[in-house]
Amino acid sequence: MASSTTTNPTRGLGWAPFLLGFVPGLLQLQLGQKKRAAVAFGSCLVLFFAGWILIRERLFYWALLTPDETGSEVLRIAAHFGLPLTLPEILNLPANALGAILCFDGSATGERLWRMPRDFEHLGGFLTGASGMLAAFWSAAAHWELRLLRDGGETSPKPPCNPALCAGLSWLVPGWGHTRAGQKDKGLLMGAAVAVVFALGLAFSHGHAVDRATYSVWWIGQNLFGGGSLFAALVTGPMRMEGMPPNLDLGVVLCTVAGLMNLVVMVDAYTVAERAVFPLKQRQEAVA
Amino acid sequence: MSLLFRLVVYVPVLFLIAIVVVGQHHTTARDTVRAAVVRTGRWVIWSVVLIVCMLAFDLVIGW
Repeated sequence: MASSTTTNPTRGLGWAPFLLGFVPGLLQLQLGQKKRAAVAFGSCLVLFFAGWILIRERLFYWALLTPDETGSEVLRIAAHFGLPLTLPEILNLPANALGAILCFDGSATGERLWRMPRDFEHLGGFLTGASGMLAAFWSAAAHWELRLLRDGGETSPKPPCNPALCAGLSWLVPGWGHTRAGQKDKGLLMGAAVAVVFALGLAFSHGHAVDRATYSVWWIGQNLFGGGSLFAALVTGPMRMEGMPPNLDLGVVLCTVAGLMNLVVMVDAYTVAERAVFPLKQRQEAVA
Repeated sequence: MSLLFRLVVYVPVLFLIAIVVVGQHHTTARDTVRAAVVRTGRWVIWSVVLIVCMLAFDLVIGW
């Protein structure tokens, strides 16, 4: 096990790596990993624009705070310069900014375009959102490398799986990260719990709970279960609503709760892999 | 009927949330399920306390 007495698992890396993490690949560049930096930047950019060509201005309508004429002037100026508060796309800052600069039009005509539904907008919204999540996982991977440089010694054992990869796999399929990190049965149990709550939400809402166009704020939480929101984007989202389901609100809440549960699962998957290299102090003492 | 429906949804969902919450402190599925049952029971008690308090407020204030 890596060292030991000086390792404090709760000590962070500070604000600079956190802020640099908003630009995919920048932390890898700082670590001297030029190829990986290019792959990180390129993959986030490609994923964002694969979705952006389907939705374009629609992203402004889905922003956490819509930069329309009735809103704050600061928001409009920020959107004009490529900083609309759209989650999780903001985590992929350069692509999000470029997309906003390319299509922001604050006029009444422009605002009408934000509200106009597009073909395949569910898929487009998922892809741009996924680019933000991917940027977060690239950032987490670099944070892990920085942590190894700071706290790990030459004799440090290798983790069973890169912690950031464990978190990313759990985003797609809850519990997959635990399986890779060595806790298979616990991963299956936690993954099943998330999937059942999400499925209940979809069932109660007749498949209409996960819809970025209608419930954009709720969707931010729902998107934390990537596999579920991808399924919804491809299968249930495009379905036509035949009357209002009686338990639609319950379905929306359950799908959001499932997303938030999966955030806990992702963080735990990262932690399980991390603890294989940096165990908690009291656990180390107990082993000794 | 409505109350029964809510209970049938509420308690199992509470249990599933408890699995994820307590799972962070355990390494095996068996330990996680055991701890989740206890945690769900505790949350159900707190939920009942909350409902009783709300009903009491309803009686006193008359919402």
